[in-house]
Amino acid sequence: MAFYKDKYDVIVIGGALAGMSCAMKLASEGKSVLILERHNLPGGLATSFVRSGIEMEATLHEMMSIGPEERPLFIREYLDEMGVRINWLRVPEAYRLLSPKDSIDIIIHPGRRDDGTWIAADEIEAQYPGSRDEVNRLLETCKSVYESVLFLNEHTASKLTLLLKHEPLTKTAGYSAQEVMDKAFNLSDDVKHILSAYWIYVGQPISTLPFTIYSFLMADYLLGGSFVAKGFSHEMSAAMAHRCEELGVQFEYCQDVEKILVRNNHVYGVRTKRGDEIHCDYVASAPYPNVVYAKMIEPQSEVPAMARKYADAMPLGVTTFSVVMQLDKRPEELNINDYSVFSSNIPFDTDVFWKQGKQLGNWSNLTTICLNYANPDAVPEGKTSLSITFLPLADAFMNITADEYQDMKRRIAKQMIEQVSEYLGVDLLEHIEEIEIESPMTIAHYAKAYRGGIYGYQHSMNNSVVARLEDVEKEMWIKGLVGCASHQLVGDGMACNINNGKIAAKMILEEMKKEAK
Amino acid sequence: MKINGFLKDVLGSSRVVKARRELIKSGSETAVFRDPINDVARELHPDVTHVKVTKVEDVSPTARKYTFEADQGDILPPFQCGQYVSIDLQIGDTLTTRPYSICSAPFEARTGEHPFFEITVRNGKPGTGYVSCWFYENVKAGDTFTAHLPFGQFYYEPLRDSHNVVALAGGSGITPFYSMAKEIEHGTLDINLTILYGSVSTKDIILEKQLKAVKSDKVRFINVISGDEAYDGEKGFLTAELIKKYSEGDTTYFVCGPLAMYHFVKGELDKLDVPSKRIRMEVFGAPRDITAAEGYPQDFNPQTFRLHVMRGIQEDIIEASSLEPFAVALERAGIKNRTRCRSGACGYCRCQVLDGDVFVPAEGDGRRMADKEFGFVHACSAYPLTECTIRIPIL
Repeated sequence: MAFYKDKYDVIVIGGALAGMSCAMKLASEGKSVLILERHNLPGGLATSFVRSGIEMEATLHEMMSIGPEERPLFIREYLDEMGVRINWLRVPEAYRLLSPKDSIDIIIHPGRRDDGTWIAADEIEAQYPGSRDEVNRLLETCKSVYESVLFLNEHTASKLTLLLKHEPLTKTAGYSAQEVMDKAFNLSDDVKHILSAYWIYVGQPISTLPFTIYSFLMADYLLGGSFVAKGFSHEMSAAMAHRCEELGVQFEYCQDVEKILVRNNHVYGVRTKRGDEIHCDYVASAPYPNVVYAKMIEPQSEVPAMARKYADAMPLGVTTFSVVMQLDKRPEELNINDYSVFSSNIPFDTDVFWKQGKQLGNWSNLTTICLNYANPDAVPEGKTSLSITFLPLADAFMNITADEYQDMKRRIAKQMIEQVSEYLGVDLLEHIEEIEIESPMTIAHYAKAYRGGIYGYQHSMNNSVVARLEDVEKEMWIKGLVGCASHQLVGDGMACNINNGKIAAKMILEEMKKEAK
Repeated sequence: MKINGFLKDVLGSSRVVKARRELIKSGSETAVFRDPINDVARELHPDVTHVKVTKVEDVSPTARKYTFEADQGDILPPFQCGQYVSIDLQIGDTLTTRPYSICSAPFEARTGEHPFFEITVRNGKPGTGYVSCWFYENVKAGDTFTAHLPFGQFYYEPLRDSHNVVALAGGSGITPFYSMAKEIEHGTLDINLTILYGSVSTKDIILEKQLKAVKSDKVRFINVISGDEAYDGEKGFLTAELIKKYSEGDTTYFVCGPLAMYHFVKGELDKLDVPSKRIRMEVFGAPRDITAAEGYPQDFNPQTFRLHVMRGIQEDIIEASSLEPFAVALERAGIKNRTRCRSGACGYCRCQVLDGDVFVPAEGDGRRMADKEFGFVHACSAYPLTECTIRIPIL
């Protein structure tokens, strides 16, 4: 009698999107794969919860890299190729940016015409005459960088090829989004603000965000629009878990992996909290390198000095603070008319917003999502599903005690609700039927993520994706151990994590080939 | 054009690669691991808390209050009035759990020399409350258990609920309100609480002495007796008229009691046009008779099926009665399974039906939409209609 096979090719620690993506890819190549997930649900943060019989989205604002069925983007294509079926619903607009102190109130839609002009450029032109050409030129540059990044996601290229065929990527790789926008384009400050609204989806201020990542974000969202799953982000997770099992992956819930077993600088298995020692040749790990190297590698003498330096040096990205509510009226009765609103009650400045992330509350830049406008069937008749989110840094929460926790959560949530109420001109506090407040501790509780981090390591100029790509293979500090979550190559976000998982699988397949020789 | 002047630099990628390598080199080899956010998360939601019974006290002719303190060096987590504890119980060969509302106040679990929490268990009527009977008869001071807390959403949420709370309680449903009353008395919960407590006769009243001893002008405690015409006080049921009499202005109603009471009280609150956001209902446990549940297949004869239980690559075959949920079949077979609310709501016992037909009562079905589509059920509220194969976690 045994619960596990004697040995697996690969053990995936963490059945979130990256882990499932990795497992699917490996299983589709005929490898034996075991996923060990500590929670009793798949998907990690891609999940939902049920209150009083009503299902509510826990985290997802919008999926990028999906695109419409007739013009799919690369994650839709990958999921199709893997045989994952998801009911995608299109989000109507890209976003509304509301910054009264700058007199900015604009709604941006995705869409590019074959002649290289963008709907967003027209929308900005309507309010800021004379900016159309430069906005088009910026977005075309973004598109070019985006296409190069997608190419490099699938292929390797020599420096010469890069220079010849991927000139915009090469020439912008050393600069932040701020530098490129300031120095290479004629854009007014307001227009730059409008085109910086997505900063929060990487949690990196525009001044330190590599233009490479900025381009990816802008081109992807504005080309393909964004999507949500009809059955909440849990549908994505459940569909991927289902497909994993169809492909022969053994998926075990409630298994907390405590140790990664290493000898002679090569992994050979894991040990769970329950006490099972399970053997394998490769491990794909969702736990952050910080935890892996400090707590999980057994014996600790197998942790190379460089791995410790790496984990210590990597700048931790943002965590989340989110208020998820069901309100007792229809959105239009509450003056809520958009799916996605980025609002600011101070002059728009992503450096200031980011610095505010180090404090407990009083955050100026909030993201408000009204699910009704993308997925009306998911909300009971006559009600509104609304979330308000900011992505602060873990630093702000490091000294909160368990006894202070509830009060802290409610105090900040109240501020956020009041801030949104102010611009809506409706007191949302009078309309709450259900409310859940998510904090870094919530993330830690459900996902055990290091310091409640949701976005891995920062996409800063000194941790650029271009540099990560260059060194990714050298950073397999322990043979057979590959990272598989948002702390890896392409960073944060649900679509990116599906890609991180695919990349982890490819790295493992490469290693298998090498080691077989 | 500006772009031509600025973006001539093709060495940018080398520069960022160098910057990152320098960043990594600057890292410490000896940094001490520190993650206070996970530490607090674990303190708030420990996987398990070892507890010991330190006191047992009669709080009615048929109910006892049990005081628990943390054991084996554990500490009790903070909780909110109205939340529950799930206690692991081994009764003979059966491994089960039961959820009990915590009747003591949150401050008592986090302050003083001997922090504690309390539950109140009423002796079950024969045939209807096997585990509560066992608990009532057998548990004594010094006994140790593993417990899991806190759980549940039946608590006062200041961002949502009115400052004025009317509690509508029946039977052992009084317990969360004793917790609230004590916390109000202590000055750490700022609400006005009126408790309307429905009982058949005065001897059914639980925690009466304790509730009457609460000294706070913010707490009112009113017994409502339905089966004694001679009772000197409020008589009858928790009717709209009575509820109205004790409500002042904007009020949130907290309802906790037996299932029949929920249906009755919901109807009475509807008569008063109470908006849904002003009604909070505690989950109400598994139905006593599943065949009476709405939608249960008609003319289906109760029977016992084979149940194939998959854990990893291992298969066990056990028996499962159509009258009991999977969770109970697993418990009778001594197979570990994790249940918390035992009402279908919380999802801790989520498991997958690989084969066979199952009935899930609509009332209290807390499953996610996609889980329904992919054949997942909550083992505490899924009843076999055929031979079934299920996959559960390895515990």
